[in-house]
Amino acid sequence: MNVANLALQQTPPLSVPVRFFITAPLFGILASLLLIYAGPTIFSSRWGTNTLALTHLVTLGFVSMVMFGAILQLLPVVAGTVIPKPILISSIIHLLLTLGSLGLTLGFIMGQELLLQIAIILLGLSFFSFIAIVGYCLIRVKGNIIIGMWLALAALLITAGLGIGLALRFAYGITLPLSMVLANIHLTWGLIGWVGLLIIAIAYQVVPMFQITPQYNSIAMRWLIPIIFATLLLWTIAYLLLNAHNRFYFVGWLSVLISLELAIFGGMTLRLQWQRLRKIPDVTLNFWRVGSVGLLLSVMLWIAGIIWTELAIQPFYPLLLFILFVGGFVLMVIQGMLYKIVPFLVWLHLQNQQLNPLKAVNMIRIPHMKQVISPILAQRQFWLYLIALFCTILALLFPNLIYLAGIALLGSFILLEYNLLKALLLYRSVLISINN
Amino acid sequence: MEATITQVFSKEHSNCDKIFAQAENLVANKQWAEADSEFNKFYTAMEKHFTAEEEFLFSTFEERTGHTMGPTQVMRMEHQQMRQIFAQMQTSLAQQDDEQYLGLSETLLMLMQQHNMKEEQMLYPMIDQALANEIATIFERIRASA
Repeated sequence: MNVANLALQQTPPLSVPVRFFITAPLFGILASLLLIYAGPTIFSSRWGTNTLALTHLVTLGFVSMVMFGAILQLLPVVAGTVIPKPILISSIIHLLLTLGSLGLTLGFIMGQELLLQIAIILLGLSFFSFIAIVGYCLIRVKGNIIIGMWLALAALLITAGLGIGLALRFAYGITLPLSMVLANIHLTWGLIGWVGLLIIAIAYQVVPMFQITPQYNSIAMRWLIPIIFATLLLWTIAYLLLNAHNRFYFVGWLSVLISLELAIFGGMTLRLQWQRLRKIPDVTLNFWRVGSVGLLLSVMLWIAGIIWTELAIQPFYPLLLFILFVGGFVLMVIQGMLYKIVPFLVWLHLQNQQLNPLKAVNMIRIPHMKQVISPILAQRQFWLYLIALFCTILALLFPNLIYLAGIALLGSFILLEYNLLKALLLYRSVLISINN
Repeated sequence: MEATITQVFSKEHSNCDKIFAQAENLVANKQWAEADSEFNKFYTAMEKHFTAEEEFLFSTFEERTGHTMGPTQVMRMEHQQMRQIFAQMQTSLAQQDDEQYLGLSETLLMLMQQHNMKEEQMLYPMIDQALANEIATIFERIRASA
């Protein structure tokens, strides 16, 4: 074994995570275009096919896409392992997820049953193979973040299973019993279980690391994720059993409990960031702070809807909830993470090239992270995204604003893609001068 | 109860983090004289930590387990990567180039933190287990060398 192999061992090839990261903004662009195309009708019903398509462009095409890449990259750091045959396996999973997400959304928009039938298979294969591979890598490791990842994977399994079941209605005309209840369970497990738990587990590692803050409270780190998971399970059982018995208040209060648990995370994160030692301006910090506020606002809105049922039956209520949680929290923190991970990986892989003792290379100065992605452009993208988010929320009151929201969102995803692609082009050009 | 390697060395990481952040804040405010002395404090603390690891901790672990090409080799290599950035940071301080320093410090922070994470979560616990009877002697030798 030589140093070059070891250098490779500590991190998977750059293309493994990056293929997911640069595909995600493309789905963001598609989602923005769909928003502009559908206009105010997108808000007419939660269950409209355009709305379903938009939701899945964001949650599968953007959110899950980045999460897959991030997990594959994080495995060596948190579990000391790289997935076997990283390039082959990540290519397959990436291709399945990309085509599956496209097929599903196109199938929804066009009402094409065949597309949906194919999409179900592709997405199913993508999720199950991802779960199997990551589970295999995690099997011998322990720790709080590992438990978090396991539970997030379990939530993904539940989400994907229910999603496939629900999609049968559109693909084959087979409607499951209690399909509205199951749809709510599907989206709750997807957003809070899979995405939420994973963000919490990753935050335990990255929040103290990016800004040099104190660690999260150790009791919270040990218990919060398992407790949220357990409450989700209880909620699901209660929701299924009590659905017919008009005992919704119990289910409602369980969901309040979940909200409070999420609020603990949001509050802790804001508090830690307040105590940070690193005071210099940082775009990731901006994304994470607004993201934590977005989480707290969505939690408050949810609890308000449980207390004042008149609020919860307003048509804008579920939409605002979704926009705040996904747009205000999930997309915020994910974009914030990309601005740390991508420049660092570009730097690391270039640096590793020069450390290879078996190859004659030119020793040139590797661009540092702020040369890989310009903080000014990253800041601009942050503001553009924030404006898009505000316009989307305002569009609930003034429907015609949806076009402005769509255009701002389109701009922000194009700029995100530009920032990421520019980093990769720089990688390529420096790599050529190293090896030349 | 005697302190473990994990406890003592993790504590050193967080001490270094504090000085690192302080130096970075000073550079951002262009307080060059203070930044210079704070960076040197950081550099010295890091070198002391690396030396304790490389010459006492890792080498004893490698002798006992026979793994010279295992995780300790990766850690040594990352130390080298960090040393390269330290040198560049020193140059940027001498040139009072805050933009360059802050770009390098951002990069160092990521490298250092993921390195610390691997040590704290995997390597140190492994060493604590493998060298359970020798921990006191190792601390003794590190103290004597200082």
